[in-house]
Amino acid sequence: MPFTFTKNTVTAKETCTVEDALPLLEFLQSHPHAKINLGPCDHLHTAILQVLLAARPQITQMPGDPPLAHWLTQTLGSPARKTAK
Amino acid sequence: MSTPLLDRFVSEARDLLQLAASGLLVLERNPADEAAINDVFRSVHTLKGSAGLFDFPAFTKLVHAGEDVLSAVRDGRLGLTSELVDTLLDTLDQTGAWIDAIASDGVLPAGADGLSKEMTAALRALLPGDFGTPEAEAPIAQTGDLVELDWLAGLPEQDRLAAFSAAVGGAGLLAIEYVPLEDCFFSGEDPFALLRQVTPLHSLSIEAGEPWPEIDNLDPYRCVLRFRALTTAPRADIEALFRYVVEQVRVAAVPPPALISVGGDRHEGPVYGDFVDDARRLIVAGDWPAFRQAIGALRQFTAPTLRVGSALRWLEVVLAAPDPVPGWLSGLVDCIADGDADLVLPAASGPAPATVSAVAPVPPPIPSSPGRTGLGTISPMAIRILESQRTLLGLPLPPGGLAARLDSVARTVANLLVAEARRATDSALWSAAVDAAMAQDGVAPVVEILDQWLTPDGMSAADAMPTPGDQTRRRAETGDHPGGEVKQASRVLKVDQAKVDALMTLIGELVVSKNSLPFLARRAEQVHGSREMSREIKDLHAVIDRLAQEMQTAIMAVRMLPVSEMFDRFPRLVRDVARKLGKRIDLSIEGADTEADKNIIEALGDPLLHIVRNAIDHGIETPDLREAAGKSPQATILLRAFQESDQVIIEVLDDGRGIDPEKIKASALKKGVIDENCAARLTDQEAVNLVFTPGFSTAAKVSDLSGRGVGMDVVVTGVEKTGGSVAITSVKGRGTTVRLSLPLSMAVTRVMVVEAGGGMLFGIPMEHIAETVRVHRGAVRRFKQAEAFVLRDAIVPLIRLEVLLGMPSSVWIGDGSEEDAVLVVRVGGNLIGLLVDHFREGMDIILKPFDGILSGIRGYSGSALLGDGRVLLVLNLKELL
Repeated sequence: MPFTFTKNTVTAKETCTVEDALPLLEFLQSHPHAKINLGPCDHLHTAILQVLLAARPQITQMPGDPPLAHWLTQTLGSPARKTAK
Repeated sequence: MSTPLLDRFVSEARDLLQLAASGLLVLERNPADEAAINDVFRSVHTLKGSAGLFDFPAFTKLVHAGEDVLSAVRDGRLGLTSELVDTLLDTLDQTGAWIDAIASDGVLPAGADGLSKEMTAALRALLPGDFGTPEAEAPIAQTGDLVELDWLAGLPEQDRLAAFSAAVGGAGLLAIEYVPLEDCFFSGEDPFALLRQVTPLHSLSIEAGEPWPEIDNLDPYRCVLRFRALTTAPRADIEALFRYVVEQVRVAAVPPPALISVGGDRHEGPVYGDFVDDARRLIVAGDWPAFRQAIGALRQFTAPTLRVGSALRWLEVVLAAPDPVPGWLSGLVDCIADGDADLVLPAASGPAPATVSAVAPVPPPIPSSPGRTGLGTISPMAIRILESQRTLLGLPLPPGGLAARLDSVARTVANLLVAEARRATDSALWSAAVDAAMAQDGVAPVVEILDQWLTPDGMSAADAMPTPGDQTRRRAETGDHPGGEVKQASRVLKVDQAKVDALMTLIGELVVSKNSLPFLARRAEQVHGSREMSREIKDLHAVIDRLAQEMQTAIMAVRMLPVSEMFDRFPRLVRDVARKLGKRIDLSIEGADTEADKNIIEALGDPLLHIVRNAIDHGIETPDLREAAGKSPQATILLRAFQESDQVIIEVLDDGRGIDPEKIKASALKKGVIDENCAARLTDQEAVNLVFTPGFSTAAKVSDLSGRGVGMDVVVTGVEKTGGSVAITSVKGRGTTVRLSLPLSMAVTRVMVVEAGGGMLFGIPMEHIAETVRVHRGAVRRFKQAEAFVLRDAIVPLIRLEVLLGMPSSVWIGDGSEEDAVLVVRVGGNLIGLLVDHFREGMDIILKPFDGILSGIRGYSGSALLGDGRVLLVLNLKELL
């Protein structure tokens, strides 16, 4: 399970596969103000990306892989700006 | 991850690969063999089809590339050279290796994707120029100009700048629009991952195709995203990458100026007036270094968020190009001057890069027909191509562009006609129409003939019905052969070997029970005194005996395999090794349908491999040496199998240089395998046999020698394990024959039963036994601990079986006139006398190797049940002595 769910935050690790989309969605549904840390994550499956796009949780950290972080920032907005809000 | 389906795929794939490989070898000898190319093509095609059932994209891609190459060969567009055969065989080998990986792990090994890509590229590079990446090209070309490019301006400026500088640097810029199917997650696709593989990826925008529902109503498994990307990767790479989702992807070439757009906050005009004037002057003068400096200076005090900042950045990038386009520059400068106006770029001013012209239709599609259904018919793919040509002709034309477009269409269709093997009249018709069109400077005649062909009965074949949509294309791609499947369901049953083995065991037990009937008969007679009863039991025994034997024969026949199973890999091996060593060898095989037990066939593979390799490596001379020796430059290796009484004989004959006994002797002396006395006494044949000595073959550099030697002891060990023997004969300068004699079946072992250690029974395999003698006790000589006796003038060491097995030895009481039973056995070429208590009968037994905790015990080859219920231990003399 690449996701670690704690009280109000999710940490994504390594490769998040399509099977992980549903648990993530369920968590985000029950925690509308959840934060997500993508720092240790190498790849997000499109389905995960879709959940993030729809739910728009606050992202605390972008992945370490620069290209991935770049495309995700463009798609989901930068984590810094979100925290500033 | 092992499913019955996967298992079946694996076993089928192995067969298909074997079939394809042997077909290729036939083809190499005779490239015109149509049946062979069809066989190879069909095997590879079927393999591709079955592989498609599983998620092995790397595998499927590679096989597909192979299929395309074979298709080109079949259509005569590609000549079959030895190099091509090498490449194809390599491909088959790789595929075979993957199949092994799939069989053991259920997945492809790591790195398979990269390897597949390399090999696929290598294969595709072999294809003739007019045969590109087929089915990817056609649909993209057809829809290429339909890509809306207005989203480009919405991309982040940073990305556009990066893409632009890459594009003016000379690389073609492609826009990709990828709208995955809603259910694509269920087919294991990950569009995001796919796009991340695009390199270089200059821009990626991900949007939802529809407004997001409430989070509680979101279906995470329905893909609604839309991807747009910019790349300077070669088109072929993109096509390869998106090969499996090609229907969902649009690709279009993007002219670099389409990326230029200026955005940002408005600014006040006058400040930049001086710059604008300067800039216009510099553009006219073409003084780029000065212009660059001016821009740099202005950027220093321009806020990056302003429109001007954006325009300046663009100016810098445009200027960075090797050959800046003045039109784009003045457009940008105008934009700064105006401060408010939208950017207007002159469409085709100055020496614009070639990609600009590609904004309208993408280069004409290329004819191809991987799914063609046969000669004289036209494939759905060809129809698609014709349709796209027709559409292309209908598009509006830039002035003066007619000739170029007509030319490309003409060539495409002409190639297509050739590829589809259309009648010559069709080709003639077409070139006439093209000439007419050229003459009257209009496309009408060409369009007319295309329309005529595209109507269902325009093409002569019945299956030329153009079916619109993707199904057609997909069918063409997978190339269904509805009839093929049915034919394959032959009357052959594939059975797990374990089931046959279980049957074998049961029959073995039946034989054992049957063997107890004679005991019963004896008891009836001796204990109960009923001779009649005894005779009846004996009659019954005879019947059961016959049935059991027939059953045994029948089940043996099930286990029998033709030696071709083993021979089949040699044509390939001989060819490869011979090519590597620069020798010319003709391999012929005789008696490939001779049958032997499966275990024997399997155990024999490696020994035979060694023998054949030795023959090629050491036995066969290079062509010039052969010619010098007065032989034909083409050497012959003959693999021959036949049955001789209850043995299978396999012979490997070569007409190479043979073995020189003198050299063998000299070499053996040097290695200390024999001493000088011994060497002097050796006959030539004995010298040749020295190659079997273990010490001899493991010695370094034996291969320098004219004869064989490498690994011959491996051969002997392997063959003896199956209960067979090896003999080698050689005539110097004329060739060598290696002869393997093997038992027909390993299931039944013939042993001699002896008694030792006070009534215990032991079985000794018959093949070791030389003779049985009775030795006078007085004739046994003692040398310290060792005993020996003289048998026909030879000294034979004597070993007491009970001592050997660590049993309490019986005390010898009496005089020296008594005789002992000695079994003379031959182990590794030496005679040894085994002293036993009594000889008993010889019998056929079903040998059961030890298993479980007993399997570690050495000295025994296994056990067998006797008719009276006792267990017979069968000795493994090689291990014991």
